[in-house]
Amino acid sequence: MGFEDSIMQTFDCIKETLGNLDQSKLQLLALSSAGVGALLCYLTWKQSPKMIPIGDGWWGAGEKPLTEDEAIHRFVVKTSVEEIEDLHRRIDQTRFTDPLEDSGFNYGFNSSYLRRVVSYWRQEFDWEKQVKLINQYPHFKTKIEGIDVHFVHVRPVQKAGQTVLPLMMVHGWPGSFYEFYRILPLLTKTDSNVVFEVICPSIPGYGYSEAPHKKGFNTMEAARIFHKLMERLGFTEFYVQGGDWGAFITSNMAQMKPECVRGLHLNMVIARTDSFGQLLSLVIGCYLPFLVGFTKEDIRRLYPYMEKNIYDIMRETGYLHIQATKPDTAGCGLNDSPVGLAAYILEKFSSWTDLGNRDLEDGGLERKFSLDDLLTNVMIYWTTCSIIPSMRFYKENLKKDFKTRVDRVTSVSVPTGLAAFPDELLHCPRAWASSRFTDVRSFTYMSRGGHFAAMEEPQLMADDIIQFVEKVESKGHK
Amino acid sequence: MYIELAMALGLGAVVALVFLKNRKNVLKAQDGWWGVGTCPQGPEDDSIRPFKVETTPEEIEDLHRRLDQTRSFPSLEDSRFNYGFNSKYLEKVVSYWRNDFNWRKQVDKLNKYPHFKTKIEGIDIHYVHVKPKNLPEGTQAVPLMMVHGWPGSFYEFYGIIPLLTEPSSADDIAFEIICPSIPGYGFSEAPQKKGFDSVCAAHIFNKLMKRLGFNKYYVQGGDWGWLITTNMAQLEPNAVKGLHVNFAPPAKPGLLMVLSILFGRRFPKLFGFTEHDVKRLFPCMEKLVVDAVKETGYMHIQSTKPDTAGRGLNDSPVGLAAYILEKFSTWTDPEFKNLEDGGLERKFSLDDLLTNVMIYWTSRCIISSMRFYKENFGKGLNQPHAKLPVYVPAAVASFPNELMHTPKLWVTQKYRRLKTYTPMARGGHFAAMEEPQLLAEDVQNFVKIVEKRKKK
Repeated sequence: MGFEDSIMQTFDCIKETLGNLDQSKLQLLALSSAGVGALLCYLTWKQSPKMIPIGDGWWGAGEKPLTEDEAIHRFVVKTSVEEIEDLHRRIDQTRFTDPLEDSGFNYGFNSSYLRRVVSYWRQEFDWEKQVKLINQYPHFKTKIEGIDVHFVHVRPVQKAGQTVLPLMMVHGWPGSFYEFYRILPLLTKTDSNVVFEVICPSIPGYGYSEAPHKKGFNTMEAARIFHKLMERLGFTEFYVQGGDWGAFITSNMAQMKPECVRGLHLNMVIARTDSFGQLLSLVIGCYLPFLVGFTKEDIRRLYPYMEKNIYDIMRETGYLHIQATKPDTAGCGLNDSPVGLAAYILEKFSSWTDLGNRDLEDGGLERKFSLDDLLTNVMIYWTTCSIIPSMRFYKENLKKDFKTRVDRVTSVSVPTGLAAFPDELLHCPRAWASSRFTDVRSFTYMSRGGHFAAMEEPQLMADDIIQFVEKVESKGHK
Repeated sequence: MYIELAMALGLGAVVALVFLKNRKNVLKAQDGWWGVGTCPQGPEDDSIRPFKVETTPEEIEDLHRRLDQTRSFPSLEDSRFNYGFNSKYLEKVVSYWRNDFNWRKQVDKLNKYPHFKTKIEGIDIHYVHVKPKNLPEGTQAVPLMMVHGWPGSFYEFYGIIPLLTEPSSADDIAFEIICPSIPGYGFSEAPQKKGFDSVCAAHIFNKLMKRLGFNKYYVQGGDWGWLITTNMAQLEPNAVKGLHVNFAPPAKPGLLMVLSILFGRRFPKLFGFTEHDVKRLFPCMEKLVVDAVKETGYMHIQSTKPDTAGRGLNDSPVGLAAYILEKFSTWTDPEFKNLEDGGLERKFSLDDLLTNVMIYWTSRCIISSMRFYKENFGKGLNQPHAKLPVYVPAAVASFPNELMHTPKLWVTQKYRRLKTYTPMARGGHFAAMEEPQLLAEDVQNFVKIVEKRKKK
């Protein structure tokens, strides 16, 4: 039987059935159809909420006072002879052990290579010089919701005809504002028709920002605090950029006050929900990628599925598991042992830049980063004793409700630019991203680079940010 | 008719072969070499050397110096032990450690039992060997090896050793006890090569017993000790007379186990579930999954990046103490997380707790102890030993606050000759240290049953 024949048959059947019904039954049918139709329309056109609640908070010690000091104070990173001597003393009393024969970086940071890093740190690394480097840009602190929030504020070199746009860039773990030092010159001095005034804050609990004293400080709280910061600095509209926790916080900022966020740029695309739909599309996408909207590059980055998405994630998320459950325990020893801290942090700069680094004796660390830059980032954690509060952020965010929390089920509607770096830990195909980010203006498969993109490939990232912003500015935003 | 008969015979033969094959299926282990470099030619030095735990003023001064330079960070307001070891209580522990704890005195205590070392498969194996002093005429001491776990040590058994070597009652069995240190833990040398898992440790421990002249012996264990002693029984079912464990997580979810999870709440009697079983297992999402996820962060990081995880702990005694003692709190009673002091001193003395920590500190073994997790879990859960049942007489002491509760039904899936399954009155994961009397009674009870059988 042909297709058309069966359709005709069905119609005839329906006509016959309807004809046999009496008046009252027909009315019932009409009413219920209308009801079902209305319900379907409602469900289809119901928008998921576009905003998350702003809320409020108090994170200082003890009770909240009546007034708060809202002034912005200049801050200069300092060091002292005692600080350096203490560091050297601790490094000298490191109790090294031998790695297993032929284990590379597969058991964690290789002890033999660690000795070389530590030797450099002890003999050649010049912390005073690095502090001067950190201070090349102006730093500030201001009290918001009871805690001191630190940020770097870099004004651009404006050429004739250029528009100055404010841009907040938020770091993640185990990074810091220092990750942006290589990209700052590329954004504050450009050849495009836009140039940026950049604000790089430290997430409360990280680096020079005070740690919250109360439980419950998650990405939404940080987002609100950063909004208040931009407001205090006099910005009503601005761009935001982030990776790692920075991606979550900036997305929250866009969800909280979309009218303030002109554009959102992420180098870590967080739209994987591992929902049934996504899992199904993974299975189908293996054979019929076009059916689920996967590109060739998506295929290359997603499969083999088990290996890339399950095994590798299991192998790389031990830190996440312990930090999300026992952060005070996990960070305790690292706050006393600079070498322990360095091994813990730098192991990520190795694996998350390229998973293949795990098989190398030296973890491939110095292929993409200089020891000076890597150790400066470690020193920021060391000198501020911020490893424990930085880990607590995981516990505050990864509670039982982490998949159903309001910001996870709310879409992001501001103009969004996504830079998908090939060696990022988890790849998110554009098809999935579009379900969460409803106004994606650019989605770029970057040619190289991993998790710490701003530090590893500053030029590539700067180019992508600029092209995204140009797109948004030329089209105008909603 | 003849065809049917032939088919039936053929089928019967196949079934019998499969059944017999399973019965005879013994775990196999190859000799390894775990020392540095390649295995040297010629016979290995198999002498047994007495060993004394020692300390020096330098060692104690170095410890004190490090304790003095601790950089503590305050815990969040009202977080108690829910974010890990509470900073306020940690300060109290460190103060005791620095000012009151007497390591020299503890070393003397450690040396009250004779220690030895012997080289097996390239590494020095340490053990404590305690013989009963007052053996009645004509009786022989029953050899028993007790194996510790992580983050414990041979020291966990110091409270139970006298109860088993010098039992109070005349018709109790007197044991001769061997407490080894797992290679990579305490005073046993760490393997230098990759791949040292529980089967390798079991193989070495069986060799140790043989070297000591024992052809038949009992084994007891909890935590890693459970797995190693189970492997010992699987490797040498003719040498291991009986296996007693105080921890027995199921290796593989079989059909019966899955059914009991699905229907056990509604029909507990069907699966032999007691009230306690139901309380510990249901609601299963929360009790089996969520609770497990909350407490296994350490396991996850140690199974993947042990060298990183242990690095800072080898330099910071306070970090090491916090990491280890957090387990002595939470694994003794999960409710202790809600106490400001983690309830640590309710069941243990600070002296005992810190002595155990000092064993990890002075032997610098925290990293190698963590590597055991990667070696065992890194290969996945489908190892040969996980698929093989245990046919040696076995006993399980089920403590109410043990990390993972295993009802009798699940235990019998693996331990096919289960003689006793005892729901204990109280106690948690570190049973030998926390409730030595209760554990000793259960071991006595089990061994008596097996020995009586043997006498018949």
